[in-house]
Amino acid sequence: MIIVNTETIPGYRIVRLLGIVQGNTVRAKHLGRDIAAGLKNLVGGELKGYTELLTESRREAMARMMAQAEQLGGNAILNVRFSTSAVTSGAAELYAYGTAAQVEPEAV
Amino acid sequence: MIFQLSLILPNALSLIFAKGERGDLYISLGLFVFLILLGLIVGGMIERRHLADIRVRSEALRSMLVTDLKSFPLADAAQTSSALFVGEVAITGDYLKNFLAVLRNIFGGNIRSFESLLTRARDEARLRVMEQAARQGYNAICNLRYETADVAGRSEGGKNKLIAVAVIASATAYHAKA
Repeated sequence: MIIVNTETIPGYRIVRLLGIVQGNTVRAKHLGRDIAAGLKNLVGGELKGYTELLTESRREAMARMMAQAEQLGGNAILNVRFSTSAVTSGAAELYAYGTAAQVEPEAV
Repeated sequence: MIFQLSLILPNALSLIFAKGERGDLYISLGLFVFLILLGLIVGGMIERRHLADIRVRSEALRSMLVTDLKSFPLADAAQTSSALFVGEVAITGDYLKNFLAVLRNIFGGNIRSFESLLTRARDEARLRVMEQAARQGYNAICNLRYETADVAGRSEGGKNKLIAVAVIASATAYHAKA
């Protein structure tokens, strides 16, 4: 499956548009409870554990989006966008959405 | 949690070394100054090392075309593969930066230390996108987008607000004419 965050794919032609597909994950974001992060708060720098958590969330959200696109019979997702929102219970949601489409290589 | 510790620790210390009211104050003050210095010195070192690392990696990828245009500028018509790459990073400020957040609420205005923190996060996320693309053989990325999230939970009863940001950068990689 071809995934891009632009509206077109170079060298491919859109045959059919299949609508919006999306995937999201919600993760608890309380940094204050994480001991390693607590120590990092003294000297600053990257929170590697937290970055990995984000990567996992993002992969999961995108996987859900791809599954939806496959179900609709698409072979590409265009104009993928990400959105994050804070949920009041102290969690953050990562939301990925895009337009599923059937594309075929352009005749040269 | 560490901020809860910085509240409990002075009390614990003063129970052991109690020299009356004055003793409490000196210990709290001493701990505070120590943490500020820790943030200033060690935090500053870590930040400088990160910035140097970012500079080195940017140099290595100097030849990659990076734009936020949607039109695949200079695309090579012969090579039509393209793919989305996403890079993310979560960075936190040191004790000094977190303390400056409290001052910000009093004095307001521009805080240059936060600006550098966010710039670092964005540069790091963008470099991760570029490196992933380069590893797959692409030499150009377009439609670079950033998404920022505040990932610091409020520490219960903590007097300092944590500063931690997560930045997600995404872009579409393609082959550009050499």
